Amino acid sequence: MVRLSTRALVALACCLPASLPAAEDALPQSARRVLETHCIDCHGATRMSGLDMRTSETLLAGGTRGSAVVPHDASASLLVQAVQGRGPVSMPPGDAALSAGEIDTLVRWIDSGAEWVDSGAEIEDSTWWSFRKPERPNVPDTGASDWPRTPIDAFVLAALRERGLAPAPPAEPAKLVRRVYFDLHGLPPPPEAVEKFARDPSEAAYRALIDRLLESKRYGERWGRYWLDLVRYADTSGFETDHFYTTAWRYRDYVIESFNDDKPYTMFVQEQIAADELWPTDMDLEGTLELPPDKRQNVYRRIGTSLFTLGAFPIEYTYYGDLYRAEWRAEAVDMIGAAFLGLTLECARCHDHKSDPFSQRDYYRLAAFFAGSVEGEIPLVSLFDVQTSTRAFPLLEQARILKRMAKRMGGDAPPDQRRKMLERLGEAYLKAPEPYASAKVLVHAESVPETYVLAHGDFRRKGERVRPGFPAAIPVRGTVEEPAGRALRRRASLARWLTAADHPLLGRVMVNRIWQHHFGRGLVGSPSDFGRQGDRPSHPALLDWLAVEFAARGWSVKEMHRLLMLSSVYRSSSLATREQLDTDPENRYLARMSRRRLDADAIRDAILAVSGRLNLKMGGVGVIPSLTAAEILAARTPRMWPANPDPAERDRRSVYLQSKRSMAVPMLQVFDAPDTARSCARRETSTVAPQALAMMNSGFVLEQADAFADRVRKLAGEDPAKQVEVAWRLALGRALAAAERPTASGYLERNSLAEFCLMLFNMNEFVYVD
Amino acid sequence: MWTSDTRRAFLKRSALGIGWLAALDLHAQSEQAGLAVDPLAVREPPRPATAKSVIHLFMQGGPSQVDTFDPKPLLNDLDGQRPPASFGDEDFQNGKFRQQELLGSRRSFARHGASGLQISDLLPHIARRADDLAVIRSNFHEGFTHSQAQFLIHNGWPRIGRPSLGSWILYGLGTENRNLPGFVVLLQGGVRSGPEVYGEGFLPAVYQGTAFRPAGDPILYLNPPAGRSPRQQRDLLDTLGTFNERHLRERNLDAELAARLESYELAFRMQMAAPEATDISAESLATQKLYGLDEPASADFGGRCLLARRLVERGVRFVQVWSGNGQNAIDWDGHTGCDRNHLDRAAETDKPVAGLLADLKARGLLDSTLVIWGGEFGRTPTSDGGKGRTEGRDHNPYGFTLWMAGGGVQGGQAIGSTDELGLRAVEDRVHLNDLHASILALLGLDHTRLTYRHTGRDFRLTDVGGSTALADRLRRA
Repeated sequence: MVRLSTRALVALACCLPASLPAAEDALPQSARRVLETHCIDCHGATRMSGLDMRTSETLLAGGTRGSAVVPHDASASLLVQAVQGRGPVSMPPGDAALSAGEIDTLVRWIDSGAEWVDSGAEIEDSTWWSFRKPERPNVPDTGASDWPRTPIDAFVLAALRERGLAPAPPAEPAKLVRRVYFDLHGLPPPPEAVEKFARDPSEAAYRALIDRLLESKRYGERWGRYWLDLVRYADTSGFETDHFYTTAWRYRDYVIESFNDDKPYTMFVQEQIAADELWPTDMDLEGTLELPPDKRQNVYRRIGTSLFTLGAFPIEYTYYGDLYRAEWRAEAVDMIGAAFLGLTLECARCHDHKSDPFSQRDYYRLAAFFAGSVEGEIPLVSLFDVQTSTRAFPLLEQARILKRMAKRMGGDAPPDQRRKMLERLGEAYLKAPEPYASAKVLVHAESVPETYVLAHGDFRRKGERVRPGFPAAIPVRGTVEEPAGRALRRRASLARWLTAADHPLLGRVMVNRIWQHHFGRGLVGSPSDFGRQGDRPSHPALLDWLAVEFAARGWSVKEMHRLLMLSSVYRSSSLATREQLDTDPENRYLARMSRRRLDADAIRDAILAVSGRLNLKMGGVGVIPSLTAAEILAARTPRMWPANPDPAERDRRSVYLQSKRSMAVPMLQVFDAPDTARSCARRETSTVAPQALAMMNSGFVLEQADAFADRVRKLAGEDPAKQVEVAWRLALGRALAAAERPTASGYLERNSLAEFCLMLFNMNEFVYVD
Repeated sequence: MWTSDTRRAFLKRSALGIGWLAALDLHAQSEQAGLAVDPLAVREPPRPATAKSVIHLFMQGGPSQVDTFDPKPLLNDLDGQRPPASFGDEDFQNGKFRQQELLGSRRSFARHGASGLQISDLLPHIARRADDLAVIRSNFHEGFTHSQAQFLIHNGWPRIGRPSLGSWILYGLGTENRNLPGFVVLLQGGVRSGPEVYGEGFLPAVYQGTAFRPAGDPILYLNPPAGRSPRQQRDLLDTLGTFNERHLRERNLDAELAARLESYELAFRMQMAAPEATDISAESLATQKLYGLDEPASADFGGRCLLARRLVERGVRFVQVWSGNGQNAIDWDGHTGCDRNHLDRAAETDKPVAGLLADLKARGLLDSTLVIWGGEFGRTPTSDGGKGRTEGRDHNPYGFTLWMAGGGVQGGQAIGSTDELGLRAVEDRVHLNDLHASILALLGLDHTRLTYRHTGRDFRLTDVGGSTALADRLRRA
């Protein structure tokens, strides 16, 4: 028997101590709370002016301006002078200021000796803002301004006024329509759509545009992609074996379809956690030849639970069943935390959470909801179809025999004889039975193992035995159904608790994600951490208002898009004034729209759309794009990259490309595609030279530039002036400006049309959305 | 250190590089604002450093310590026997220690150099550099499959998702030559556990390892297609520059847009610099011979060692040279016929490695360049328990050898020891967290301070472990 060393296999998610005090604290804690609220963003890890306020030593040591704190002498302390605005510097910068109470806290703390307390997390704290149920706030009265169109605008305007900022003017219609297309579809607008809206940018036309795009299937492909990032979707396990999850793509399709169907978010959550328990069904035909639609629907809901079957797992975990199950359950809890709750629950796997009120016991109580559940294959077709699927089995056997014979014949056989044999083999294969449609989902195990608190997360160090239960810090009552017999209802209980009407996190976290993908940044800047280490909301009341609306509107994600996109703030110009850049460089307060670079998928898809090659076929097994030997250099063996032989298939949307954990597609990777090792709530936007190289020289871009040139030639003929105009319009969705014409025409005179097209792909305007 | 959020904030107000930004007066503005601008700018390490750059010679598959640098006479005496009960038991990938037969070394050891360091006849050229080597015989970690062990050695963590050692160092120190990547990986072919082992994990993408291709363009997509002349390439950049500058001016000099503009210029400079840096034919015949380029067996690895020197010479911070292509027979993965396997690997690498040390020394680069040699683990003192395997050795993470040279390391010393069979590290044990902490220490970096905040936590290469005692020992004169 093969045995493994435990320490290596137990990937302990270890957190470094990080502390934040509770609301009612002694002076040292209160002082630290003030520092952490107002100062630490710049004078923490960032060490602006060399000052780091994270520890007592570094605070006393001070920065380039000298010591920040003189114990027992507040008035001589630079920190106090700065926050009182009476020293060489005034802090915090901008209009933000400490309240009189906060300044008083600092003064009293320093005068009493500036004692420093390294606090652990206070476990009892249900007063943390994100754990309180959102109540519908009053919409601010913004007076006579005609800028607000919706309550969202009133909240935004009120916050802007507090900071002395004014909202930007509306975006030009052509820019707005491009924004709307990329936001909802991740694809550029067809030029006709831009021109149509530019001619008639009325409110009715805008609404109609949004409605039309929300009805398109392209919508689910875009917004499904965000969800797939969040749940670390991939088609393989990663690591040395990198074995395939052969039906994972069904989950990808399920997600896309759920967004397209505007499935209520609570139902979407319930299905992914417990569709089998909440919508149990058998697969009898009920006397018909087709599976009754409700049964089909119920069994397809179960694909949602595939979420828990497609994480990154080293095969070594399977050497020990207990280890595998411990790791698997831990991953499930981490996913519940990251995707649904917006909490870093994983910190509580080895010890009590250092900053949020979750104990290690809470963690294993959540894990217990998954005890008794295991991964399993289920048929997605009727009992009848399963039973009859083997009718053609002899043909499969025949194909196997032919294959052996063809192999035995070897290369020495006369070519025509060998060809004949291969043809027969091919025919036999084609007639052979297709396996019936199935999916890897959660099923119930034969027995329900006990769950223990594991010391340091080590599966061999069992501590207290725990029952399923909900974290006490989140004030939502839930019941754990434990019916007699084997009819487990544990996950159903968890799903009900998560989607309870008064749950403070589920709606807030999701509306914040929707907001983030429209505005580039969430109202909470840390979209999967609503705990104390996360960001505070920039607009707390607006966030609550949105969360309340989300529930009131039946948890319809599409309704939230309408709500956000119909606001004035969404329709603002992205042009920043100097004043806005100085006061709010990160645009937290939305005096303008944030300009955004397209992500990896959107860049590739936009190139395909503009070249005219985009294949809009939906769904199915992930497509393996063709890569050069140089591109797959680091793959363990090139054999592991059998490209799809059909060129049209390679031109499908990026969401349908196979996601192989051990080998990313370089074109996507270079533009910050997530590594799928863990949940990704927000992609990085890096700007590095290899991106420029990929956009100028990669086989993919060169091929698409050729295709784009063919398309332009078909539309414009051989007249260079016409070609420039047509290419410009297709790539950028706008007419060539007179001032641009000489440079553009000059370039085409010196270079091929394909090179001209490639130049357009490389323009900042192509990859940025205003 | 930066979080991704502060980096984003920097980018909003400033940008990478100079060039276009200088032309647009943006650079001056960002300097006025007192912000650090360039994530790859050279940073002085917080502590005294004896090494400036690193060449990691990675022996993929895991070389056997008892056949190279860790002689075990008792093992040879007990060849073919079951291990004595006093050694206890241990789990290997393909079986358990107690159930296997001991396998003596087919190599003979001798003392070398003034220091008298014991090295086997497998590596005669490296043996001649004995007085440069600090051999660490007591390394250990907890991963005994390739995948986990490679992640541990490279990323300090047995799973995907953490930054590689080279990425951390680049993050900590920046790089001197902006026209070349600061962290270069010279592969022989495939990577067992996938390219994430030299990935940047959660660090910004500027810190990623760049794999140079062995043939054709050294950097993926480096060279323009055949139909585009250098003049046309410049034309493309200038035309793009014109349109992008216009776009930028219409958008109030958005620094992120300016950074993208600048990244094209950097790409262009890379197109110029990389072919020059990678042209090993520019080296004298004597130098080429020193690295074994004249012998078919060692020409490939020798070429990459020579390239490593050229890169370090040009200011590249961290270079990794891989021996082995991810296949058992080509890696140092002697599950069957270990001695034959190692003889083949030695023929490929022995002369180049020795040549690299000699060349670095001759050019005065060895003092500032830390050279690290080793695999992801060592090999067992027993015969591999796998079916049908003969004279093979399985993976052994419980005790294995690495050596270092240069970069302030005192050569001619052996540190730590394994037990009498070479199974486990026993004296002066060096956990991989200690190893990483010490490598960072030689570079002047404090492993407890080199942190990056991600998902609400400050991450380190050494997680919550790591001691720098090894670094003190390595530097001891």
